[in-house]
Amino acid sequence: MNIDTSTLLPAVAGTRLTPTADAGAGAGAGALGFAQWLERSLAETNTRLIAADQQVQRLALGETDNLHHVMIALEEAKLSFQLMVQVRNKLLEAYQDILRMQV
Amino acid sequence: MDYMAAFAISGSGMSVEKLRLDVTALNIANVHSTRGPEGTGYEPLQVISGARQAQLFRSVFAAESLRLAGGAEVLEVRTVGVAPRLVYEPNHPDADAAGFVAYPGINPVNEMVTLLAAMRAYEANVAAFNAAKTMALKALELGGNG
Repeated sequence: MNIDTSTLLPAVAGTRLTPTADAGAGAGAGALGFAQWLERSLAETNTRLIAADQQVQRLALGETDNLHHVMIALEEAKLSFQLMVQVRNKLLEAYQDILRMQV
Repeated sequence: MDYMAAFAISGSGMSVEKLRLDVTALNIANVHSTRGPEGTGYEPLQVISGARQAQLFRSVFAAESLRLAGGAEVLEVRTVGVAPRLVYEPNHPDADAAGFVAYPGINPVNEMVTLLAAMRAYEANVAAFNAAKTMALKALELGGNG
């Protein structure tokens, strides 16, 4: 029995695994996009760390009104930092994989 | 990161419950107050909270991800409007002509129930926050060696 999956799943039929022409043309822009994304994410993580630091400082000075806001800021900073660490781990892993490649 | 929305929602819930605890503590503290801030008797207060406008919206950076923004917020802190409890104490400086002193109509049992409910709701918000954090950390474990 022949089942045509493209008619059963119209959503799947629309997706293509092979790179299309415009995707190939945008490869250069994609590489730049990742660098930009990394830069922006690093800046965001840094901002969160600074914000958490300021919150703790304000807590020590007795200026903060809610303890849980400080804890939430700390958790956000921690989570952002751990995401950055994981991205760095994956990048380094990929780099070392390439380095170990037989030529 | 869309986990920040979950954190913000839990945080807003915690803020509301914290205020509820403050207001309940204020009521309990003033259970024997015969004079309020304006010279008249103390009026018991209660917190009215409501849902903040919750809406799903698409993120600017990732078109496929949907985010939920909202939470809870304090709508008002209003007086309950219960009649004062009249106690016959003719020697009290705040006694009226008939010798009755007007104590605020605070029911300590109700206040304790409100206190416990606020505490449990706060704990539930912390649990939701921790669940979101655990989920985020689990997502970071994807592809790991462990």
